[in-house]
Amino acid sequence: MIIPILSTKLHKPKPASNVVTRSQLFDVLDRGIDGKCIVVSAPAGFGKTTVITSWLETVEHAVAWLSLEESDNELSRFLRYLIAALQSIEPHIGQQILPALQSEQDLPIENVMTILLNDLTNIEQKAILVLDDYHSIDTLEIDKALTFLVDHLPNNMTLVITTREDPQLPLAKYRVRAELTELRASDLRFTKAEMHTFLNQMMGLDLTENSITALENRTEGWIASLQMVAISLQRQADKTQFIETFTGSHRYILDYLLEEVLHQQSEETRTFLLQTSILRHLNADLCDAVTQTHDSQSVLELLERRNLFIVPLDDERTWYRYHYLFTDLLRQRLLRDSAGFSTEDVNELHTRASIWYEANGLELEAFQHAIAIHDIERAERLIESQGTPLYLRGIVKPIYHWLESLPNHMLDSHPSLWVAYASTLLLTGQHTAVEQKLSQAENALKNAKQDDSTQDVMGRIASMRSTLAVIDNDVETIVSQSRYALAHLNPNNLPVRIATQWTLGYAYQLQGDHQLARHAYEEILLLSDPIENSFYAIVATISLGQLQELDNQLHQASESYQNAIKLSGNPPHPIASQALLGLARICYQWNELESAQAHAQQCHELLQQMENTDTTASYKVLIAALHLAQGDFTSASDALYEAEAFVRQNNFMFRMPDIVEAQVRVLIHQQNLTTALQLTETYDLPVSQARIYLAQQNPSRALQILAPFIQKAQENGLQYELLKGLVLQALVYNALSQQDVALEVLAESLALAKSGGFIRIFIDEGMPMQALLSQALDQQIFPIYAQKLLKAFESNSASQPRIDPLSERELEVLRLVAEGLSNREISKRLFVALDTVKGHNRNIYQKLQVSRRTEAVARARELGLI
Amino acid sequence: MPNNKINQSKSSLIYQITLKGHLQDDWSDWFDGLSLRCDETGNTLLTGDVVDQAQLYGLLKRIRDAGIELISVNPIAEPDDEITTNIE
Repeated sequence: MIIPILSTKLHKPKPASNVVTRSQLFDVLDRGIDGKCIVVSAPAGFGKTTVITSWLETVEHAVAWLSLEESDNELSRFLRYLIAALQSIEPHIGQQILPALQSEQDLPIENVMTILLNDLTNIEQKAILVLDDYHSIDTLEIDKALTFLVDHLPNNMTLVITTREDPQLPLAKYRVRAELTELRASDLRFTKAEMHTFLNQMMGLDLTENSITALENRTEGWIASLQMVAISLQRQADKTQFIETFTGSHRYILDYLLEEVLHQQSEETRTFLLQTSILRHLNADLCDAVTQTHDSQSVLELLERRNLFIVPLDDERTWYRYHYLFTDLLRQRLLRDSAGFSTEDVNELHTRASIWYEANGLELEAFQHAIAIHDIERAERLIESQGTPLYLRGIVKPIYHWLESLPNHMLDSHPSLWVAYASTLLLTGQHTAVEQKLSQAENALKNAKQDDSTQDVMGRIASMRSTLAVIDNDVETIVSQSRYALAHLNPNNLPVRIATQWTLGYAYQLQGDHQLARHAYEEILLLSDPIENSFYAIVATISLGQLQELDNQLHQASESYQNAIKLSGNPPHPIASQALLGLARICYQWNELESAQAHAQQCHELLQQMENTDTTASYKVLIAALHLAQGDFTSASDALYEAEAFVRQNNFMFRMPDIVEAQVRVLIHQQNLTTALQLTETYDLPVSQARIYLAQQNPSRALQILAPFIQKAQENGLQYELLKGLVLQALVYNALSQQDVALEVLAESLALAKSGGFIRIFIDEGMPMQALLSQALDQQIFPIYAQKLLKAFESNSASQPRIDPLSERELEVLRLVAEGLSNREISKRLFVALDTVKGHNRNIYQKLQVSRRTEAVARARELGLI
Repeated sequence: MPNNKINQSKSSLIYQITLKGHLQDDWSDWFDGLSLRCDETGNTLLTGDVVDQAQLYGLLKRIRDAGIELISVNPIAEPDDEITTNIE
C-alpha cells in the first residue's frame, strides 16, 4: 500500500539521532513563540529544518507541519494543504471552507481566511504552524493570503517559516512591532565548539585543534559541508592528509566533497544515487521501476544508515526524499559526460518514472517527468487523460506554464494542446486571450488528418466559444456554438459534453424557452456521474429548480433544490447558496416565514465563501420581502438600497428589475409615486407600473398596461409572470367595480397558483384581495384554497401591529385628505372649525402610527380603510 | 529561427556572474551553457548571453539551490547586432 504523497507533506521529519543540541538557538526560538512569526532564513544546507524539528521536540505545544514544494504554487492547493496541516491540531479547522477551495477561480480570499482565522481563535492550546521550504512558493496570491493570516493571527498561534530567501511578507513592520524572531545564516553556522561536538564527539573522528580550525576556515561552519566532510573522513586512513588537500583546494566545496562521498560508495550505490536523483520523492517500488532493479528498499535503508542525505517522509519508511541540496548536485552530476549516462539514458529514466506515477494515479508527477524530457505526445495524453482533463481537476498552472513555453510549431502539430492552452487561460481569468488560441487551433486543424479526434477538437473549440459567449451574454452565439460542439464532440467526451449542455440550457433559459432549457439540464443529470461531475450535476439541478419555480411548480422546485443541497456535500459547496435561496423564496411563498429566514441565513453564510455573484442581490431582495411581510418598511428599504448599490458596484445590472419591483412597493407606501413611475419606465416593468396607477386610483390606465402583458405571458408560456399579472388584474377590475370580471380573473389566478400552494402572492396585496377572496368563497370559487388563503390573511394581520379602529368622522376626514383637500377646505366641506379638523388629524396619525398626511393616506390604503 | 535570433539579440545582454569556489567546465550545461572560467582568487566567472530577466532569475535560483555563494552579477555589454546578423 502506497501512502499518498499528501500525508508525507504533513509529516514533521524526526531529527536524526546525531544532532548537535543548539541550546542558544533554542532559547531564541523559545522567546520567539510569544510573537507572531519566526523566520529561519538561510541558504541550503544550513540546518534550518533540523534546528526547528529538534527544537520542537523540546516544546509541548501542538504542531502543524507543512513541507512545501514548487507544485504547491496554486492558491487553492496551498490552502487545502494548509488546512490539512492545521487539522492535525483540531480536525474541524477549515472544514467549512474546503468545498470553496475546489476551484482556483474567484476565491474571495479575505472571507475564506477570516473563516479560517475564526477556527484558529477557538483552538484552546498554544499551537505552532510550520511552513517548511517556503522559498518554493513564488505566487503573489499565496504571499498575500499568508500576510493576511499573520496580520490577524490569534495570540495562541505562532507561524514558523523556513526558507532560502526572505518571504514576501511585511517583515520590517513585524520587526518594528517586535512580532518577528529571525534566525539567519550567521546564527545557524556551526561555532567552533559545535564543530568539536559534531566531528569529535558525535562522529568520533578525533580531529586535532589545527584540523578543526582549518575546516572552520574552509567551510565557515556550513553544516551540509561539515556533514559531507564527516562522512568522507570516516573511511579515510590519513585524516590530516585529507583535510590538508581539501582545505587547500579552491574547488566549490560541495562539488569536491560529493565526489569524495560518491567515490567511497559501491558502483551499485553510486548508480542508484545518480539514477534516482531525477525523483522528487522516493519509494522502493518507484526506485525499482526507475533503476530496473529489485532491491531498492535495502538500498534506501543503507543510505539512511550511512547518513547519505536521505530524509524519511513518514514513520513507516515508505517515502523518502534526498536533501534538496544533494538532489541538485546529484542531478548536475548525472548530466555530466563523465557520469557515463547519455541523454537517451536520462530520458529513459524520466519515462520510467512517468509511467510509474501514471500507473499509481499520480498524474501531476507523471506529467512533470514527461515535460522534463519534452515528451509532448506523452504530456498531451496525460493532460487529456481518460476522464476529465488535468486542468479541470485543479492542475492549471504547471500546464499553463508548459504550454506557454512551447514554440508555436509544436502546438500546431498538436492542435488539442492549443485548446488546452485556451482552457488554462480561461481558468486563470485571462478571457480576452482565449479566442486567439482557439483560432490557432482551428488553423492547425486544417492541416491535420480528418478523423474522430479532429472532430472532437473542433467540438471542444466550439464549446469554449460558447463559454466565452456566456461571459458576454451573447445568447445566439451560445446556442449556435453549443449545438455545433454537441454535434462534433466525441460521445465519450463527457466532461465537455456536460459543460456544453449547461451553456445550451443557460441560453435557452435566457431566451425564455423553459422546455428546451429543462431538456438540456435533464441531459446533464443523465450524463453525469454523481462523483466525477458533481459540480455540473449540482448546477443543473439548481437550474432545473429555478425553471420549476418560474413554472409555478413550487413543490417540484423545492425537491430539486433539496437534491442539489444533498449533492453539494457536507459541508456544502458554496454553489448550494443558490439552492438555499430558492428554498427560502419557496418558503416565503408558502408563508413559512421562519423557515424562509433560516434558509436565507444559511445562504448568506455560504455566499461569504464566494466571490461576489448576483445571488447576493437576489438574497437581499428576499430579505426585503421578509421585512415587508412584517410591515417593516424602513428595513426593507435599506435592504433594497444595499442590493442596488451591490448590483451597480459589481455590474449585475440584469438584477435591477427584481430590485425595482420591490422598491416600487416601498415607494407606493411612501406615496412617492412619481419616483416609482420613473423607475418602472426605466426598467420596463409593466406589472409594477400598473400597480402604481392602481394606487393613483387610475385603474383604467392600469388595465391598459396589464392586458398586453398578460397576453404576452400567455403566448410565451411564462407561468409565473402570468400569475403576477392576473392577481393584479383581478384587483384592477375590482377597483373598476366590475365584480364579475374581477372574480373570473381571480379564479384564473387561483387555478394557476393552487397546485404550487402559493400564499404570499395573494396576502401581499392586502385588504382589497382579502375582500375579493371572501366574495370568491361566497361564490364557491376554489372554496378550499380560498378558505386557506383567508385563514392566512387572518393570522397575518394578527402578526401585524393592531390598529385602533377609526371613528366614522375620522374616516370621513381621511378620505378628504386622500382627495388632496387642505385642512381649511375640509373644515369648510364638513362645516366644522379648523381646529376640529386638526384634532381629527392628530387622532388619525396616532391610531395609524404615522406622522404625515401622505403616510396616513398610504397606511389607510394598505389597511383597506379608504 | 533566424528571426528569433535577431529578436533575442535586441533585448539580451551579456552577463558576468561571479560565484565563490571553482566550478569545472562540466557545470556549464547546468547554467544554460554559459561559459565558466576560474580566477586566481578562488572564484568562478560565469559569462554569456542572457535572453531576459526571467532567464537571469532562473540562473540565480539554480545557483541558490546548489548552495553556491553568489558574489556579483554584472551586465557587461549588449551583444553586437552586426555579429548576429553576419552569422545569419
